[in-house]
Amino acid sequence: MRIWSVFVKSLREQSRDLLVLGLTLVFAPLFVLIYWLWFPSGSTTYTVLVINKDQGVELDDGTTWSAADEAIQAIESVTYADGNPMLTVKPVAGRNEAEKALRDRSGLVFIDFSEDFSRTVQAIRQGSTSLSVPLTFGGDLTNPYYPVAAILATGAVDHYVQVTTDHQPLVTYLEEPLGASGTRNEFEIYVPGLLVMGAILLIFQASMAVAREVEAGTLRRLQITRVSAFELMAGTTAVLMLVSIVATLLTYLTAVALGFHSQGPLWLAVVISMVTTFSIIGIGLVMACFARTVAQAFVVANFPFAFLLFFSGTAFPLPRMTMFTIAGQGIALNDLLPPTHAAIALNKIFTLGAGFGDVLYELIALTVLSLLYFAVGVWLFQRTHLRAEG
Amino acid sequence: MSEIVLQVDRLTKRYGSLVAVNDLSLEVHEGEVFGFLGPNGAGKTTSINMMCGLLRPDSGRVLVHGDPITGGSADIRARVGVCPQEVTLWSKLTCIEQVEFIGQMYDVPGRVARQRGERLLEELDLIDKRDKQAHTLSGGMKRRLNLVMALVHDPDIVVLDEPEAGLDPQSRVKVREYIQSLARHKTIILTTHNMDEAERIADRVAIIDQGELLVLDTPEALKNSIGEGDVVEIALDGEEDMRTRYSASLQEQMGAQAIVQAADGTLTVHARDVVNLLPAIIDELNKTGLKPTGMHLRESTLEDVFIQLTGRRLRE
Repeated sequence: MRIWSVFVKSLREQSRDLLVLGLTLVFAPLFVLIYWLWFPSGSTTYTVLVINKDQGVELDDGTTWSAADEAIQAIESVTYADGNPMLTVKPVAGRNEAEKALRDRSGLVFIDFSEDFSRTVQAIRQGSTSLSVPLTFGGDLTNPYYPVAAILATGAVDHYVQVTTDHQPLVTYLEEPLGASGTRNEFEIYVPGLLVMGAILLIFQASMAVAREVEAGTLRRLQITRVSAFELMAGTTAVLMLVSIVATLLTYLTAVALGFHSQGPLWLAVVISMVTTFSIIGIGLVMACFARTVAQAFVVANFPFAFLLFFSGTAFPLPRMTMFTIAGQGIALNDLLPPTHAAIALNKIFTLGAGFGDVLYELIALTVLSLLYFAVGVWLFQRTHLRAEG
Repeated sequence: MSEIVLQVDRLTKRYGSLVAVNDLSLEVHEGEVFGFLGPNGAGKTTSINMMCGLLRPDSGRVLVHGDPITGGSADIRARVGVCPQEVTLWSKLTCIEQVEFIGQMYDVPGRVARQRGERLLEELDLIDKRDKQAHTLSGGMKRRLNLVMALVHDPDIVVLDEPEAGLDPQSRVKVREYIQSLARHKTIILTTHNMDEAERIADRVAIIDQGELLVLDTPEALKNSIGEGDVVEIALDGEEDMRTRYSASLQEQMGAQAIVQAADGTLTVHARDVVNLLPAIIDELNKTGLKPTGMHLRESTLEDVFIQLTGRRLRE
């Protein structure tokens, strides 16, 4: 009964704070929309800077043939499965211009076709097996996009030369994508991360909701009533959960409307998102126990926020640091962070078409962590805010 | 003698080296209005926070109807209603919503809490603000709503921390009348640094200073303790040592029939028939060369008691 009263009271407060409610609801859907706008073709197109010094060769019929021009066309013809270009070519006059563009990040990799590029290709085509085609390329090796652009561009040139010189490759590569990973565009790859990030952001609202009661002094009023820490936490959490359910559904609807396809059941992804949210709220409640003002709660919550975002694999992949193994399942340090399991589970569902049984471990881990953090939150809250001050 | 509803037994609270409350013992009886009088920082709020279970004492105990309030059951805590000095309201809830909510936190059924809340809002002239959110209320209205929140669960004992602080004159009269009406069927403990408030409302007054209980009695008895009669206050121009000498000489002349004190440029003479002593006082004054800049004749108050006990005014 008291939980219900706390729920109704929190719901009223939440529904009357339209700015906060609005921002919470639109945050993740807005990010999905922005990412979709960021990738008009669904994925990144990598810019290749081309320095073309190739002199070409004169053919028997008197025309000039340029192998570099054809290799450049080969680079431009590399496309995603949906036909959108992977690489775009930007001609530059020389190395200086290329390096400036690399520093400005208006290009990711440069390829330098030498003066005798065509002559060498022609010679090999005519039987000179001892020759090798010279090709210089480079870029900023700290740029995470560089390796992708370099491999794709040099691979395209390599393939062109093999076909043109009628040489068979020494190794024939056959790539077999896992699940539907071969057909996912970059926008679709980012959606699970955005969903988890939307849940992680609730840490601020959870901790600030409790700190607001402390700062306003209303918690002292409640301290001498019959309400327990569990009832207060449960009622507050229920409202935050409700808000997050709506926010999550809005995010999914936005993503689907913008072309996102899930290979697995969407309801399962929603369940995973809900349990993740519960665990994040639990962590938020723990943080609230170390704050007496809303400003303090915000600052304190930033600490776990950064951990949850950057060490869970949500923002970018991290190697697992396995500590021990239980029933064949390696347990890593970052398994203590609920978003770790959420990111894995959502990726399995969306990309690999996983069903309930495939994500059972992640679901159990998320549930256990949620209950653990919530219990710690209630215990700490009782000790720090609901007991008579010492 | 009526039943003891609240017993404070050797209560002590320290904050580092500061002793906020030192060995405080007192008893509050059923149906009385018990006033805690003292200057700001005297330890009044600390004392009542321990009395209602918000603060743990370093030593000593508080018993409500014989049961300890700190670490005791919720039933015991529910017998006390607290109106804190600060306004503590949920700004986004309407008046009736927060009254209903706090009632439910004491297990008062929603319907009962609503009916009781409406009656209390009516009694404190807030009924037309029933559906207004707290942040839209004026300061005086918020303080009255603060009081309603302490009463909705119908406690036996109501603790009011500076209930008239920050109120406009109209609200002050309203709240004072309301507290007096409450006193017919509840025990009330109130803190104040306003001697007038304590004198008008309280059946018994405890004067506290620097964490120590100085005296505890009815306002009349406390005033009589410094001698029956009235007070004349004469504001004097001149050197401090001249005023002190004049005070000593006047006291010597008056003997036991008057109490003479000089402080803050004012000479205070407390005596039974002070009007008849005025010629003698002025004669003595003329001899000193001091010039009176004002004179005020009044009945003695609890402030005089405080000055008598501490040598300081309440608002210092």
